[in-house]
Amino acid sequence: MHLTAWLMFTILALVCFGVVGLLQKLSTDLVSAESALVWLSVGFLLLQPFLYPGRSLLHYSARNVAFVFAAGVCNALGSWAVLAAMKCGGKASVVVPLTAVYPSVVCLVAPLLLHEHISALQGIGIVCGLGAIFLLAS
Amino acid sequence: MLELSHTLKQRWFWYSVLTILGWAGWALLLKIGSEEIPSEPSLFLQTTGMIPLAVILVLAGSSRGSHSKLGIVYSLLNGIITGIGILCLLAAYRSGGNTSVVAVTTSLYPLVTFALAVPLLREKLTGLQICGLFLATISIVLFSL
Repeated sequence: MHLTAWLMFTILALVCFGVVGLLQKLSTDLVSAESALVWLSVGFLLLQPFLYPGRSLLHYSARNVAFVFAAGVCNALGSWAVLAAMKCGGKASVVVPLTAVYPSVVCLVAPLLLHEHISALQGIGIVCGLGAIFLLAS
Repeated sequence: MLELSHTLKQRWFWYSVLTILGWAGWALLLKIGSEEIPSEPSLFLQTTGMIPLAVILVLAGSSRGSHSKLGIVYSLLNGIITGIGILCLLAAYRSGGNTSVVAVTTSLYPLVTFALAVPLLREKLTGLQICGLFLATISIVLFSL
């Protein structure tokens, strides 16, 4: 079987994100959610040299840089909360799919903040997402 | 219904809700900021944005008292593998992958976690929770299209 480069990278990304859910549970079984987040951030920082864009960062508007930086703050908050959920006894197989429905909230808020329209498919996605939260919490 | 009212009293559920809100905020802010900034500098900035909370936790001493070396290794791997996953995702887009196919495929990661957690962590799900898992999968796929 011949695997094209993009398919190989896609499968690798899928496996990485899936394994992370397992590691979140394994780590919070042994350390606090706060400690897990600190070391997770250190792990992220190890990859920073590969991503460093150099002086090109100075060419972007301060407003957009601030928004992306704030996105990172929200990501950290969400990551800490998912680790805390697992530390408090949440199962990886429930918490991971439950938190993965966050685009439902994005689709609900985006029309108000970004003046975007919700497509019919996204509307069905929101209903499925809310139903999933209800069932996973059962 | 009894199980639902029990879950609503569980801290893990409300932390999960906080995660949904945090990541929704992340996606919205990223959408606005990324109009001008390409994906790799954006990832660099996002990671930088994660540092303040980590520093606050270290300074507040919240991360002390967790001395398990294995736990630290798992946490480190958590960050490294997430980063590698994101780099692979960017590489998939750059090597000519169809955006929708790549997005839909990678968004199915909860199924991988589920497939690993059930045998390795011996987690058991109720019939309703398994229905919820599939509903979540449909929802995630629809948002990725």
